[in-house]
Amino acid sequence: MKKTKLGEFEELVLLTVAALQQEAYGVEIKRELESRLKEKLSVGSIQSALKRMEEKGFLTSQFGEATAKRGGKRKRIYATTSHGRKVLEEMKDIRSQLWNAIPKLAFELKAI
Amino acid sequence: MKPQALHPPQWPLKFLRFFLKEEYLEEIEGDMEEIFYENAERFSLRKARRMYAWEMIKLLRPNLIKNLEFVNHIIQYSMFKNYFKVSFRGLKKNPVNSFINVFGLAVAIGLAIFAYAFTRWTYSTDQFHENKHSVYLTTFFANRDGVSQQYGTTPRPLAELLRQDFAQIKSTCRVEDRNVVMKYNDHVFHERVRYVDPEFLEMFTFPLKWGTAGSLHDVNSIILSEEMSIKYFGEENPIGQSIQMIYGKDQSKVFKISGVAKAFPKARTISFNFLINIENFRTTEPGYNVDDWNAFVNATFVYVENPSDLIAIKSKMEKYKTLQNSAAKEDWAISSFSFEPLATLHEQSEYIKDDISRSSKNNYVSIMFMIAIAIFMLALACVNYINIAIATAAKRLKEIGVRKSIGATRKVVIVQFLTENVVVTLFALLIGLAMGYFFFIPGFEALWNFNMDFQFTDINLWIYLPIILLITSIASGIYPALYISRFQATTILKGSVKFGQRNVLTKVFLCFQLVFACVFITMSVMFTQNTDYMSKRSWGYNQDDALYAMVPDQASFEQLSAILSQHPDVELISGSTHHIGRNHKSTVLHFPSRNYEVDQLDVDAKYFETMGLHLKAGRWFNDHEGSDQHAVVINETLANTLGGNPIGQVFQIDSLQFEVIGVLSEFHSYSFSQTVRPLIFKVADKDDYRFLTVKARSGSELIVYKALQAGWSELFPEIPFEGGLQQDVWGPYYREIGIYKLVWRVFALIAITLAMLGLYGLVRLNVEGRTKEFSIRKVLGAGLKNITASVVNQYVSLFTIALCIGAPSGYWLGKWLIEFSDEYHMPITFSGAAVAVVITALVLIMTVFTQVWKVIKSNPINGLKVE
Repeated sequence: MKKTKLGEFEELVLLTVAALQQEAYGVEIKRELESRLKEKLSVGSIQSALKRMEEKGFLTSQFGEATAKRGGKRKRIYATTSHGRKVLEEMKDIRSQLWNAIPKLAFELKAI
Repeated sequence: MKPQALHPPQWPLKFLRFFLKEEYLEEIEGDMEEIFYENAERFSLRKARRMYAWEMIKLLRPNLIKNLEFVNHIIQYSMFKNYFKVSFRGLKKNPVNSFINVFGLAVAIGLAIFAYAFTRWTYSTDQFHENKHSVYLTTFFANRDGVSQQYGTTPRPLAELLRQDFAQIKSTCRVEDRNVVMKYNDHVFHERVRYVDPEFLEMFTFPLKWGTAGSLHDVNSIILSEEMSIKYFGEENPIGQSIQMIYGKDQSKVFKISGVAKAFPKARTISFNFLINIENFRTTEPGYNVDDWNAFVNATFVYVENPSDLIAIKSKMEKYKTLQNSAAKEDWAISSFSFEPLATLHEQSEYIKDDISRSSKNNYVSIMFMIAIAIFMLALACVNYINIAIATAAKRLKEIGVRKSIGATRKVVIVQFLTENVVVTLFALLIGLAMGYFFFIPGFEALWNFNMDFQFTDINLWIYLPIILLITSIASGIYPALYISRFQATTILKGSVKFGQRNVLTKVFLCFQLVFACVFITMSVMFTQNTDYMSKRSWGYNQDDALYAMVPDQASFEQLSAILSQHPDVELISGSTHHIGRNHKSTVLHFPSRNYEVDQLDVDAKYFETMGLHLKAGRWFNDHEGSDQHAVVINETLANTLGGNPIGQVFQIDSLQFEVIGVLSEFHSYSFSQTVRPLIFKVADKDDYRFLTVKARSGSELIVYKALQAGWSELFPEIPFEGGLQQDVWGPYYREIGIYKLVWRVFALIAITLAMLGLYGLVRLNVEGRTKEFSIRKVLGAGLKNITASVVNQYVSLFTIALCIGAPSGYWLGKWLIEFSDEYHMPITFSGAAVAVVITALVLIMTVFTQVWKVIKSNPINGLKVE
């Protein structure tokens, strides 16, 4: 892993952005993550994770359309950068390698 | 749900707009609003709003909020951490200097806190009365020897008339005090009861612990103070118990206790021990005529809802004046009536004659003194701090040079030094607070036997303390900070700056300290001398061999006299109505040319010899019944006022003619603090004997005292003995001057300690800085004399100047104070100042010598090694 670390929560947010594609804006990301994690999240935590990752270069963003629901304010649509995608893949690889490295016995022993 | 109600609350949004970074605002605001509408559909509007606000607050995250101005400043504030660290290190590194600084400031701050506590106590006097702005004392003015004098007493019928004639006066209350004996089982004491109208407890705020205030309407009820309740009944609730009041010689009345007051607030001028209904005079004093304009009650209070009504009332009181002046003896003619508000009565009390309230004027004088002394001491301690800071600055030059060269501006260095100062002062404040709380305040309370009710919960104290902290730290720190921060970084680091040793201002400051110390020592010596002088000064009569006892009437006088005359050590017995040092009455003498108001004592013919009074001219009274009914003996003061040969001069009292037959040498009826007033002795009517005076054989006064008490308890087992040695009648006065002596000694001790500490610090730094020089001197053969001279030289002129200023100013101040507080005092000489100079000089020399001794004892080789 590089020096720009990706925290656990940040990783989840980044994955959600990647999954939501064009729909990836604050409220939608929050909604999606809440339903998957089955817990309440605050706007502040999502926003600060997004801003942090944008600064680190994992994300880019641009303004989307405004809706009446938002009091005429525009959405900000997030998208993963190639660097972000690469880091995500790296993370996934490291994880699966580690999974593979665990001897089968360990689980079986535990199961006894 | 109405659509217009459906919008998020405004205040969290404003809050958000203030804190959030501009570029995120639109997005986050939009998100928040979207979530709000969603929530509003799912839950209630209320809950949605609450959630909205809560989410807003949770948005306050470091990477979302603006870089506000103060965020940048935080970096500078983190420097304070460094300043604190440096100041703590400095304190630890120089324990002696730190002690001098902290201790000096702490003592001064302790005194300042004490001054505060006393001031607060004095100003809170009587302020606990809820009706303090509606209750007024009725007073009158009368012309005495051409001077208008205010009196606190009131003609007896006035209260009733005021209540009838003026609708604005809601109620009135008369107050009369009488001495009685109270008896409950074995507890028998002389007491003072207050006869009052039942309105007393409505006007004054004295809440009851037990019982009801209304019970005072019943003539058989009595209300006790908490103190009296404990004295007679202990901690028990005495309601319903009976207590016997013995008045006159053997008459008595049983009262039922119907109330006990809560403990009175400490700062008060009016209170009571026992309260009974004024109607009781019908039984206790059948001759008490409430319609007699010639008789006065101790006080009459009125209650008006609107104080401005009093102006109208006053203008209509002329008719009472006429009533009073036509009925009363012309000597006591009234010129006008007036009202004094309860709220400020204690301040005015000093100028009102015969009022029942205690004056707090002395307290106000004391406050001025204490504030002055606290400021002096603070100044002394600050000067110590400044001196030491400047002297030690040399050691810190490198630090300042480094700080400056890595970018500290002068302002930053000043802030650093002031911060260090705040740290030191804060230490001192804590210690001073402890000193004030555990030492000064309890000590003072124990001396004067009162309680000033000092508490840490007082809000004003927490305003006062930071002010003290701020003023002290700035006063002591600003000069060193400005002085040290002035130097250029380059010159410091080159090492071309030399200072600290020969600073003129340091010397001026030290000089100030020595002057203060000298002044305080002079005053303390003078007070000690004066106190010693006073205890030896003659009272003008033989107080050592005389004893007295109070008797209820002539019969008991005769009985007691018969018992005592058997005693071998009793030389003379005399009877009198009044007694020197205890009481007298006021009379007006009418001479053809003018009138004099004088003190009058009624005595028998043997009184003069019994008391050891000296006759200057003329003769005593003749010792046979019925003689000298129209003769008076006067004191020297009156004789001097009359002028010429007083013997044979004739005057009138109440249109009866009297002649002066004798003049007494000067003597003091009351303590030396009071001017001797013109005074006459008249022959007492035997029926009016209230005092029995005994002259004991010299040296046997204690044996006679025991015999007197024994004789009394044999005759009157029911009534407690009241009397004693004549030399004890001034007990409170001697206690008081003894306290002054002690207080000035404490001040002198503190002042000389502070000055000594300051001097010690300076000399020590000076000697340490010259270690090398002294070592070389020693190697070359310098002895004690040479080294002492080289240290002392630079202080000699300083000492001389300080003593030359300090001793005379102490002398003048002490003289002024003694003349102010004592009418009769020692002949003031320069001896006090001389003693003070010697003490100060000795202390200074000893301080310097401790350092010189260190140099002499040290090995010059070690000194030469010092870099």
